[in-house]
Amino acid sequence: MTTKQQNQVEKIHLETTVAVIGGGYTGMAAAKTLAQNGYPVILARQENDGAWHDTSLTGLDGLKTLENQVADNGPIDILSQSTLIEAVGVPGDFTLTFMSEDRRVEKKAGAVVVATDLSSSPLTFIYGLTPCASVVSLSELESLLASETGQKEIGDKKKTIAFLVGFAHEGNPLLMQRVLESVRKIVEMDGCTAYVYVNNLKVAEDGLERLYKQGRDNGAIYFKLQTAPTVIQNNGDLRITFYDPVIRNNIELSPDIVVVEESLVADQQNISLAEILRIDLGPAGFLQKENVHRLPVNTNREGIFVVGGGREIQGLSKSLADVDNMLLQVRQLIGGGEKTVAAKAVVDREKCTICLTCYRCCPHAAIYWDDKAVISPAACQGCGICASECPMDAIQLTDFTDTEMTSRIREAAAAETKAAAPKIIAFCCQNSAFEAGTAAGLFHYDLPAGLQIIKIPCAGKVDINYILNALVEGADGVIVMACHTGNCKSESGNTYAKWRINDAYRKLEQIGIPKNRLEFATLASNMASDFARIVIDMEKRISQK
Amino acid sequence: MIVAERKPFDEIRQLIKGYKRVLTVGCGTCVAVCLAGGEKEVGVLNAELKLSQKTEAEPAGFGEATVQRQCDMEFLDEIQHMVGDYDAILSMACGAGIQFMAERYPDIPVLPAVNTVFIGVNKDVGWYEERCKACGNCALGVTGGICPVTMCAKSLFNGPCGGTNQQSCEINADQPCAWHMIYTRLERQGRLDNILQIFPANDWRNQKPQTLVQPGYEERKASE
Repeated sequence: MTTKQQNQVEKIHLETTVAVIGGGYTGMAAAKTLAQNGYPVILARQENDGAWHDTSLTGLDGLKTLENQVADNGPIDILSQSTLIEAVGVPGDFTLTFMSEDRRVEKKAGAVVVATDLSSSPLTFIYGLTPCASVVSLSELESLLASETGQKEIGDKKKTIAFLVGFAHEGNPLLMQRVLESVRKIVEMDGCTAYVYVNNLKVAEDGLERLYKQGRDNGAIYFKLQTAPTVIQNNGDLRITFYDPVIRNNIELSPDIVVVEESLVADQQNISLAEILRIDLGPAGFLQKENVHRLPVNTNREGIFVVGGGREIQGLSKSLADVDNMLLQVRQLIGGGEKTVAAKAVVDREKCTICLTCYRCCPHAAIYWDDKAVISPAACQGCGICASECPMDAIQLTDFTDTEMTSRIREAAAAETKAAAPKIIAFCCQNSAFEAGTAAGLFHYDLPAGLQIIKIPCAGKVDINYILNALVEGADGVIVMACHTGNCKSESGNTYAKWRINDAYRKLEQIGIPKNRLEFATLASNMASDFARIVIDMEKRISQK
Repeated sequence: MIVAERKPFDEIRQLIKGYKRVLTVGCGTCVAVCLAGGEKEVGVLNAELKLSQKTEAEPAGFGEATVQRQCDMEFLDEIQHMVGDYDAILSMACGAGIQFMAERYPDIPVLPAVNTVFIGVNKDVGWYEERCKACGNCALGVTGGICPVTMCAKSLFNGPCGGTNQQSCEINADQPCAWHMIYTRLERQGRLDNILQIFPANDWRNQKPQTLVQPGYEERKASE
């Protein structure tokens, strides 16, 4: 049966408005940058956005200045007290619904930028301490130092303040910067003392060593310990005892206030944003999976970008670099609002039975439906998972149609080879194993005489039919080679391939064909020698029979 | 939607034994949606059959086709030109489709390649749950949209029975008690008084073959 394909190249119009979700420093910087570059912006803010970064801004425009700049920049539509509740559409044409000040607001956007902030979580309980006026978290100290009454309370009474850092968790430069800033402020107050009990000093960021030195020069005292000191809290009375490795003696100090470190965690909102925007939630609630194929601000969905603390623990300088990267991505996607796109996958609307399998399987959320499945050419990344899952074979990749693949398999199985050499067909993902296989050839590694490599866009394109038909056509062995677990450019192409191989194993067993005629392997593109080993091993196995 | 599953390969192999030319016919509606008998499954089954015939002295030949619905004569007509070339048809449709196929082509054996399992819903790709037994007497309006015939192990119209156990059914702790679910749903909707309504004994009309003519089409049927 023939496949009726849609026009493969089409001109599409893209909405140029960009929605920025999150009104902290990064979100506002993103809004300002986009607006300055001619993109109308919707900035969805929440009441306490930006609260966290306020105290750690040094050498950058303050939040208020940025806020004014954002307000002054023409095309920024600020939605205050707003939460995203629904998102539909495709790159260039998203429809977002917010609850803003208790009203439903619907907005059109060509791209979405998620700029949620980090938030702090106290670790007081890990030290076995009870929060009180003399046991405070780093955030609490920061707000004390930021207020006039707080400064008076500390400065006038010439207080001694002790910091506990790096014993409850490994920490990171961003937290260290906040500690160092607070220490600097304290020792600059006449008569105040700062003791810092610290495990590893995390100063691998611009300016942190200078900040550390500045504090020490002004009299801050650092105790670098392997384990946390013992802190005895008796109502407001504090006693810290520890073994000092420098003077080799036990020491006891009684500060007025103990400041306990915090951990930086992903914004709670990320979980619901991931669900609504259909983007992958990564480790620890950040909005990105650890995928080597992905550019810094990209998500699994085209047109949805994540910048700053929404994607990992990072400071403002990195967040601002993210904003610049995001602008490049937005320009590439939306440009001036019109572009010509070539469809990577097309749906035969006569065959489509709208079972929603493709919609549910697409790792890029590139598929929606009218009365039949529709694949957005702007969103599709051509992995072919949908095409191989479609129960009606109604989806074809333009560069890897079933007809072409079937004849390629037939040719491979019929290829002339040395007598008695087993015929092995290897389906290789172009992002990894195909490169490894090509390199194995160039390096003149020993490869089976009957090896035929078939390039596929992603292991997710390996249809179970390709595997079975390769055997039907006369292959003695079939290998499917995918990217390593967690390393698939399309997130789950290798997983789908693995599931299909397991399904094929069950089928081969029922038919009575030895399972060792089929193998699944994961490779990286630089693993040429492993490639050679895998195919040679299969040749040996088959020849033994 | 009707949900079906592929028959075990051995059973299919036994069914087609002795036939030299077999036409595997898929159905593009329910069984395609539940990934049991659409065009893809036809291709997969034929590939399996061809592989299993490799060791035979005279391997059988297999053809394939997929029609929109095997429960419509017009679509079954579409394969008429092919049927003459085969000595058996392997249908991947539900039980209704298979029988209609057998009725349309009565001179040739029509064999089932799938088992029809239930009327159900799609929970996710490849995952289906039963929701309807086609009892012919729908009570959902009274029972809060939860079917006691399907969801209760005893198909009780006036439940629960004594086996209800902390929200579960006595047959299995993982099986929720249908009448408990009905109670909570009705309570949530403020319609608990429904629970007191007594259903008379059901007319189990589906125990004999049914014909249904939609009211607007009775005259059309009579005119045939």
